[in-house]
Amino acid sequence: MSCGTKPKSMSRAKQWTDEVENLYRFQQAGYRDEMEYRQIKQLEIDWWPETGFVKKLQRRDNTYYYYNRKRECEDKEVHKVKMYAY
Amino acid sequence: MCSNVRSAGFNRGELLKTEGFTVKSTMKNSVVVGPPAAGAFRERPYKPTSFRKFYERGDFPIALEHDTKGNRIAWKMEIEKLDYFHYLPLFFDGLCETVHPYEFFARQGVHDMLEHGGTKILPVIPQLIIPIKNALNTRNLQVICTTLKVLQHLVISGELVGEALVPYYRQILPILNIFKNKNCEYNTSQHLLHYNIIYILIMQTLKIQCFDNNVIKAAFYCSI
Repeated sequence: MSCGTKPKSMSRAKQWTDEVENLYRFQQAGYRDEMEYRQIKQLEIDWWPETGFVKKLQRRDNTYYYYNRKRECEDKEVHKVKMYAY
Repeated sequence: MCSNVRSAGFNRGELLKTEGFTVKSTMKNSVVVGPPAAGAFRERPYKPTSFRKFYERGDFPIALEHDTKGNRIAWKMEIEKLDYFHYLPLFFDGLCETVHPYEFFARQGVHDMLEHGGTKILPVIPQLIIPIKNALNTRNLQVICTTLKVLQHLVISGELVGEALVPYYRQILPILNIFKNKNCEYNTSQHLLHYNIIYILIMQTLKIQCFDNNVIKAAFYCSI
C-alpha cells in the first residue's frame, strides 16, 4: 500500500535510457519508481557502481530480486515502462 | 565336393563380412568391417542430482516468478548472506538437469550467485570441479553449452578465479577436446536465443581463462 506523494501524470517510455532501465527494474519488483520504493521500504537501494543501475530490490513479500550489471530492458519491453511525473 | 559347397549356399564370388582379428578375416574372400562406434558423442544418463533432492525438500531459498520476459528467481534470502560453501556446489550440481524447473533454477541460480558472490567464490572453487566435470561428461549438448557459459561467468566473477582453475584443467578439458570440432545449434525455448557453435564457445571459454593461444593448444594436446 503506497503512501506519501502520488504522481500527477503517467506516460509510457518511447526509447531506452538509463532512467528507463531503472524504472523497468522497479516496476518488475512491483513498485512505481524509486520514490515509492523508498516510501514503502525505507531501505537504501543497492546500485551497480559501474553502470548506475539498480542491483537489488526487496519486493513487498520480502523476497529479493537481483538484477544484472548490464541492461535488462529489451527494446520490445521499453514501451511497457511507465514514467510518472510528480 | 564342389556340389556340396554350392548346396551350402556359398558362392565363391560373395564377400564375407567379418570382424577384424578373427580367423575368418584371414580368408581370401572376407572383408573386414570397420570397428564399432566408440560412442564418444553418445549422451550419458546422469544420476539423480543433489540439487533436485534439495529443491524438492524445499531447502533452497528461491521461488519462481513469471514476468513478461519469462521466468525469474525471487530469492527469499539475500544472496550475500548465503553460505556459499553449502549452496554453490549444490547449484552447480544442478547443471546436469535438463527438465524444467530444475534446469532453470540451477542455471539462473548459479549466474545470480556468481554475479553477487564477490570474494566468497574463490574458496569454493575446489568443490565446484566435480559438478562441472559431471555436467560436461553427460555429453548432452544443452548441458555442455550451459556449463561453458557458466565457466565463462565463473572466470570473470572474481579475482584469481581463472588461476585457481588451472590445476583442474586435466579434469575439465578432455571433454572439450572431444567436442571442439562438433558444430550444433542450440535453441532455448524460454529465452529464444541461438547459442554459439560449441567450438566457438569452447575457444571463448579458454581464451577468457588462458589469454594465450599456445596454452590452449598445449592444454588440448596434454589432455588425458
